[in-house]
Amino acid sequence: MAYDLELIGVGKVYDNGTVAVRDFDLQVEKGEFISFVGPSGCGKTTTLRMIAGFESITSGEVRIRGRRINDLPAEQRPTSTIFQNYALFPHMTVRQNIEYGLSVKGLSKADRRQKAAGIMEKLELLDVADRRHDVLSGGQRQRIALARGLAVEPDILLLDEPLGSLDANLRKSIQNELKLLQRNLGITFIFVTHAQSEALVLSDRVIVMNRGEVEQISPPYELYTRPKTRFVAQFIGRNTNIPGTLKGRDGDIAGVETGYGALRGFLNDSTLSDGDDVIAVVPSEAIDVYPLTASRDELIAQYQGNVVEGLVRTADVVGHTVFYVIELSDGREVNIESHIEKYRDAFETGAERVYVTWLPNEATVIGKG
Amino acid sequence: MENRPLLRSTLAIYTVLFIGFLYAPFVVLGILSFQSGPEGGPQFPIIEWSTYWYRHIFGLTPPSRVAPLPIGEALVRSMTLAFATMVTSTVLGTMTAQAFRRRFKGSGFVFYLVVLGMIVPGVLVGLGIALVANTLGIPRAWWGTAFVAHVLYTFPFAFLVMLAIFNRFDKTVEEAAWSLGVPPMRTFRKVTFPLIFPGVLSSMLFAFTLSYDEFPRTLFAAGADLTLPLAIYGTFAVEIHPNIFAFGVLTTLFSFSLLAVYGFLMALSVRSAKKVAIQEEIA
Repeated sequence: MAYDLELIGVGKVYDNGTVAVRDFDLQVEKGEFISFVGPSGCGKTTTLRMIAGFESITSGEVRIRGRRINDLPAEQRPTSTIFQNYALFPHMTVRQNIEYGLSVKGLSKADRRQKAAGIMEKLELLDVADRRHDVLSGGQRQRIALARGLAVEPDILLLDEPLGSLDANLRKSIQNELKLLQRNLGITFIFVTHAQSEALVLSDRVIVMNRGEVEQISPPYELYTRPKTRFVAQFIGRNTNIPGTLKGRDGDIAGVETGYGALRGFLNDSTLSDGDDVIAVVPSEAIDVYPLTASRDELIAQYQGNVVEGLVRTADVVGHTVFYVIELSDGREVNIESHIEKYRDAFETGAERVYVTWLPNEATVIGKG
Repeated sequence: MENRPLLRSTLAIYTVLFIGFLYAPFVVLGILSFQSGPEGGPQFPIIEWSTYWYRHIFGLTPPSRVAPLPIGEALVRSMTLAFATMVTSTVLGTMTAQAFRRRFKGSGFVFYLVVLGMIVPGVLVGLGIALVANTLGIPRAWWGTAFVAHVLYTFPFAFLVMLAIFNRFDKTVEEAAWSLGVPPMRTFRKVTFPLIFPGVLSSMLFAFTLSYDEFPRTLFAAGADLTLPLAIYGTFAVEIHPNIFAFGVLTTLFSFSLLAVYGFLMALSVRSAKKVAIQEEIA
């Protein structure tokens, strides 16, 4: 059974020599929701446009359901694209927009009507079918764009920052609709965004890109808890990254010699060996904070050595959430936020000096890269 | 602005002067066109108000010492020429602008080459075309050599208008069409063209009016059969009568009616133009 979408060593070099995408490998199963995230200029949109056929492929191969599509023009590819600015046809009504792709496919007028009506019903657009879309809200217009793209029944729907023009509340609700829609239709979605939260909420797998290269391809939870590269550790979530050298391992758990003493974390790269420069990535959510009045020995036993002393710089409370900025001995700042309950001991005593602690398995040790 | 009375009044005076200079010659011509005839001359004072010279143009007056204006055929020629020029230049201009939407090797050079057509002195272009035609043994004619000269002249205007339109054009609308399975040619006809239509209208208007009263290039390139501006110029050589002014008023009215047609068509397509603008705002 062929993959719905397969990229094999795909690369893009522009005429002026700029390398936009390098050696991209990916296999996508039918019905997967895949997100590309990364900072602007990382190559995520270029990759999407290569799949769509708007951008030529310099090297490698793109296959859809086993068929090589490198040389197919955009209009012959079994994909349709949703754009951030909706890109609706301004001179057509909502219904005409949705029916247009079908008329090109040679459907009879009655079939077009029926099909368009079906998809409009799904997306709650029947009320506005005969209106001009420039009087409608951003959310409705993006739904029209979705309906138009889905009406032609693509194998793969490509979405280029489709929620980028919407305000935060609308974004949330369309996000949910999008997820439901994708589940119901079972169509493969390739979704480009610079907002990691969108990608983490929506996707089956997230692809983090940086400078034209794939940094990591993982399901959201794994991406969040087990970054593989330094870039991912900085880009996804809110982590404290502590540099050190690898020293000793015990199963999955590795020791790291740092400026704060010997620390421990989950070793996420089996190619690393003793003496290598590594980074211990400690997620904000993993950190517990205790006042210095707590027993250091007990904490060391409880957290298997991961106890670092720090100075509270700020401790802000917003509702039930505490935002801590804690400075470690060499000036490194640890930013954490959590429910007030978690930090009650440290917070209620108003401690200035605290112990920052975490369980070894919740931190991740990666190469310095 | 509100707190700068000096600036305001200066600008007001400037505007009044500008409009005065723009329309004064025409007003003078307009008044003199109602001079009595056939004895009245092309100067003040008006001896007696009359529509004699208008009737004279259409041959509705008894024969007199003033010969009828030799413009009938010239008018038809100029109209035909302007129409053909308009169509050709607009098509070429649109196609060229479409090509310039992508940077290509030497596009900067080609751009200046194209725009040069509107900068080179017209008389020289006309003369050059006449010389080349002579050398190659091509007879000069208003529908041949002069047509080439007119297209050379108006094409850069049409091109620049369309270039400006394409600069503001949202390319993703075309990409959306392609991604729905619409082939590029059909996308151009059904999606791109309706959206750039206001620009096409403007470039048609430019090409028509520029060609209609083109003089220096046509002078040498037209050959034996004259276009309207050449025919009118020819009558100056003998003696000027107010019938020229009457004709000037009529042809100006014609230009205004062209503008009215343009305005009407523009208003028809303003709906879609407005939609484009809104879509751009969001982009």
